[in-house]
Amino acid sequence: MSLEGKRILIAKPGLDGHDVGAKVIALALRDAGADVIYTGLRKSPDYIARVAVDEDVDAVGLSMLSGSHNEIVSETLLHLKELDASDIKIFVGGTIPRDDHAGLREAGVSGIYTSDMAIADVLKEIELELRNA
Amino acid sequence: MSGGKLNNRRKMSQALSRVANASVVETLKNQKELPKETLYRIGITGAPGSGKSTIISNLVSKRVDNGSRAAVLAIDPSSPLTKGSILGDRIRMDSVSNDPNVFIRSIPSRRSHDGLADNTADLLWEMEGYEFDEVILETVGVGQAEYSVRALVDTVILVLLPESGDAVQAMKSGILEMADIYVINKSDLPGAELIAAEINEIVSRNTYSSNEWKPCVLSTSNHSVESFNALDEAIDEHREWIKKSIDKEHERRSRVRYQVQSLINRRAEELLELMSLKEFDGRPKEVYEKLIKKLLIK
Repeated sequence: MSLEGKRILIAKPGLDGHDVGAKVIALALRDAGADVIYTGLRKSPDYIARVAVDEDVDAVGLSMLSGSHNEIVSETLLHLKELDASDIKIFVGGTIPRDDHAGLREAGVSGIYTSDMAIADVLKEIELELRNA
Repeated sequence: MSGGKLNNRRKMSQALSRVANASVVETLKNQKELPKETLYRIGITGAPGSGKSTIISNLVSKRVDNGSRAAVLAIDPSSPLTKGSILGDRIRMDSVSNDPNVFIRSIPSRRSHDGLADNTADLLWEMEGYEFDEVILETVGVGQAEYSVRALVDTVILVLLPESGDAVQAMKSGILEMADIYVINKSDLPGAELIAAEINEIVSRNTYSSNEWKPCVLSTSNHSVESFNALDEAIDEHREWIKKSIDKEHERRSRVRYQVQSLINRRAEELLELMSLKEFDGRPKEVYEKLIKKLLIK
């Protein structure tokens, strides 16, 4: 399996400044063949949505450790919708409590990857999700 | 941002993906007609880490302030092993990438080794007709031999660093002969004046007739926003000069020549990738003829 030809935006929304996880996943995605764009720290949901549209990515990975994932996800989805880009998939990674998973999925998140998961498993799931796209 | 322009933006974005994912055959089949007035193209090239993206960010901000709509195509290298890439140029363009009059697209170099992507010409072609005024092309960080960008843009800007003194010696042929504007970036660092003098010396050693463009040498620093004014003006000056002095037909033909060559290269690569190892048995002449035969099949 490979992510060759897939474009993925890794974004750091909100105020937390820890992007080791985002960078690790960005490199892992690249090594799986994807073209990865990284936004840098502290980006707003409307900025992320706009970059996702300009770059015409297949998916956006939101890396969040701040606890504000519910708000950020719903805003990002809203902005994507406004830009007529609801076809772009959203993945969420970082510190996401179990209790919030169902709600996020319901809102339209395609995959949730917490920091206790093995990178290989994360890649496998993303590949599956994007292959069906 | 008006709705119409927004739609246009999404349209261009998706069209670029279609071109990027297309085979050579599909590219040719779907190639559109060019509008009468084509986009002005500015190419920025230089060594890795010389500050190309940062310069673009500063430059775009000035040009957008003057009422221009700018599209940026930024190329980063693909891994030859995994084919993947990290496209990081855009991080340096943070301050402008939120501007509705700026469009930034990051692209991987894929199979190409000439500082551009193997489909750059096709992507630039597709960018025509979406209400932008100019396009700025950022090459992969390059050495002295990668000057293909010359074939595709109107104004070539070569970015150099204060410590690249020895490199300049080595670059006397190659890209150093190709640029319209030389920029010594990070000019607050020691050595900047020395290298500016060296480049000036190289430039003034050549003789220019009255209808030739004499390259200019500028210094920029991210610590001084004003230092980019001169660059902004130099581009406009060069643009004016091009309008008066360059044979448009000649320019068009040389771009078509480059594009056809890169399409052929890509087509050959596509076919070579499909061939089994066994098919490379035999002498180069035989394999070559086999490949030529495949190229002829539509």
